[in-house]
Amino acid sequence: MTTTLNRPAASRSAASKPKPTFRQRLNVFDMKASPYFYIAPFFILFALVGLFPLGYTFFVSLFDWHLLKGQGEFVGFQNFAEVLQDRFFWNSLFNTVSIFLISTIPQLIMATIIAAVLDQNLRAKTFWRMSILLPYVVTPVAVAMIFTNMFGEQYGLINNILSSFGIDPVMWKNDTLPSHIAIATMVNWRWTGYNALILLAAMQSVPRDIYESAAIDGAGSVRRFFSITLPSIRPTMVFVIVTATIGGLQIFTEPRLFDPVAAGGTARQFQTTVLYLWEMAFQRQNFGKASTIAWLLFLIILIFGIVNWLISRRIATNGDDRGIASRRRRKRSSVPNAKADDAGLTAQAAAAEPATAPESTPRSGQ
Amino acid sequence: MEFSRLRKFTALAGVASLALVAAGCSGGGDKAASADNPVTLTVTTFGTFGYDDLYAEYEKQNPGVTIEATNIDRGSNARTDAFTKLAAGSGLSDVTAIEEGWLGSIMEVSDQFVDLKEHGAEDIKGNWVDWKYKQGTDPNGRVIGYGTDIGPQALCFNGKLFEAAGLPSDREKVAELFGGKDASWDTYFKLGRQYKEATGKAWYDQSGFVWNSMVNQMDEGYYTKDGKLNVEGNKEMRAKFDMLAAGTADGLSSNQTQFDWGNGKAFVDGSFATHVCPAWMLGTIKGQLESAGGGAASGWDVADVFPGGASNWGGAFLSVPKSSKHPAEAAKLAAWLTAPEQQIKQSAAANNFPSTLEAQAKIVEAAKPNELFNNAPYGAIFESRAEGVIAQFKGPDDSVIQENVFGPALKMLDSGKGTADEAWNEAVKLLNDLVVNN
Repeated sequence: MTTTLNRPAASRSAASKPKPTFRQRLNVFDMKASPYFYIAPFFILFALVGLFPLGYTFFVSLFDWHLLKGQGEFVGFQNFAEVLQDRFFWNSLFNTVSIFLISTIPQLIMATIIAAVLDQNLRAKTFWRMSILLPYVVTPVAVAMIFTNMFGEQYGLINNILSSFGIDPVMWKNDTLPSHIAIATMVNWRWTGYNALILLAAMQSVPRDIYESAAIDGAGSVRRFFSITLPSIRPTMVFVIVTATIGGLQIFTEPRLFDPVAAGGTARQFQTTVLYLWEMAFQRQNFGKASTIAWLLFLIILIFGIVNWLISRRIATNGDDRGIASRRRRKRSSVPNAKADDAGLTAQAAAAEPATAPESTPRSGQ
Repeated sequence: MEFSRLRKFTALAGVASLALVAAGCSGGGDKAASADNPVTLTVTTFGTFGYDDLYAEYEKQNPGVTIEATNIDRGSNARTDAFTKLAAGSGLSDVTAIEEGWLGSIMEVSDQFVDLKEHGAEDIKGNWVDWKYKQGTDPNGRVIGYGTDIGPQALCFNGKLFEAAGLPSDREKVAELFGGKDASWDTYFKLGRQYKEATGKAWYDQSGFVWNSMVNQMDEGYYTKDGKLNVEGNKEMRAKFDMLAAGTADGLSSNQTQFDWGNGKAFVDGSFATHVCPAWMLGTIKGQLESAGGGAASGWDVADVFPGGASNWGGAFLSVPKSSKHPAEAAKLAAWLTAPEQQIKQSAAANNFPSTLEAQAKIVEAAKPNELFNNAPYGAIFESRAEGVIAQFKGPDDSVIQENVFGPALKMLDSGKGTADEAWNEAVKLLNDLVVNN
């Protein structure tokens, strides 16, 4: 969008002109208001299915609220106090973060590498691109069931193979770290290709002549990747990291199906926060506390999102180190300027927030 | 396949015509169904219920009634489904099956279910064994569920494995071996140690089911009769827990996953030789054997004996939620499905044991052998096992205590990660966290 800048002369002459006709006024109205009407459906829907549940969840979290018996006494922030002292809540948070780290970091590195490879001149491009997206098409439930079977402790494929090499079976469900790895594997299997495709799209839009001139200047393919590709796909990278974070912190389907009987392992070895929320609501039937957990998770995701965004901003900046250095210098030299800069960033982060609206829709994977 | 597609089609046609009728005349609400006033009834069951043929029969007998059936894979998922819909205030099927284990929770909100006495429950009261009818009655005397099956417990054993270990494999001899009428858990564990010594293999699949059986046969389980929690400081319960823990510590547990058993492989590969068997478990084991490629040759059998005496585990009820648009029609269907004649057919299809006296008698009389279980006369066996069963009071959190409190503690034992003391303390700690201070 381009905006016409100051044209005081025109506006002054408009004043001296005769009153605008109805049609003209309609035109102006159309120009000014229509865009808002065009975007309104999203915001109305968002208010309905995003904002309202968010607010209502907070309302519920202030009460003793039994799943079946409904609203009870008003307890203020007591639910929050109790959940924050609950060992299972912290356990679930640890599990969530652990699974998130084990899945997201290798996943994004792999996705970037795959995207970079696919970005080369390959034969049968479409075939390769379709192939990496294939796991994404499979529903997470099917993925979880197949992997759960493979990771079975006594009859699973993986332990069978291990034992044929004389290695002790791994307790994929009863030990904490192996169970996290198993779940992260499911997540990675499903999402790596998806992220690779998004990153690939970004890589394709990098002007080829930059690569050519870099090659002429003697830059090898690795150097070109780090100095041209990565910096150029920075906005997409940020997008991928932020969505992966949100998804990773809301992981539900995989751990839920990894142990269909208990909620996240017999001793909560892989009970994620959303799974704990689910247990609280539908097994322990405490809706008040479940809502509290939902809200705490929302706040945690918000914090993670911001931290992530700040970090990923640094991973791939303008390409050479001078960019960062000069920016730092600028910040140090002119404080007010830097502040304005930061304010702008926060505004952007806030604008990006609707997409992160978590409330209680557990999203699988990512 | 063909059949179910046909039913889906008729269901659709039924819905469509219902919509037409609804548009045509208002206030057709709860009139009796007929060809002129078609009614679609939804039914939700779980596990192996064996109702498929009965639905078709009912539709045939009652023109205008269309049944839309949903079956949920296992009881705990059906519980979540029912609770979610109760909380939402809509969505429950016209006829909803309730499992004994979470009946306690449902009783807390029994006013959300239709009192079946308004639909003639008292006239057919005499059909059921009296404790089953009482279980379906809420504290205010309203009847909210018609009993379907009961879960008297017998002992399943693997004849082939018994033989290999030098134990008798004939089911009557096995019953004697375990002590017949005086069968006790002491004998059960003693034989288990003997078996373990002879074969090096486990005796039972995992501790959870043995524990359920032990608790279910106590006068008072996790709750006292007047509804107070009865776990902490319960010496009798603790003694049983220690007995089980000692057995498990001696390697008698195969540490299987409940309701998974490696997709049934554990029933085929000789991982364990005995299994506690409430009547409906025969249907479950059948499914497991089928999925693992086993069959009658796998050697399973069922003996008319149970350690510690009579015990009941599970069994279900059919209820009609208040949110049903056709309570009268739904109650009629529920009554029909739980009537003795239909219970006999259900039992044949699902391998479970009926809760009405007449159906029980007929099944004993028919003496149909269960081919998968070495031609065991299951009717006579479970009828005998049902004698002396007491209906234990189930509190609101009974199923939570069974699965989320004792589940992890018993898994600690099974996987060798804790002693009896540690596991019991963990259970008590979990109880305080999950139930007392919830």
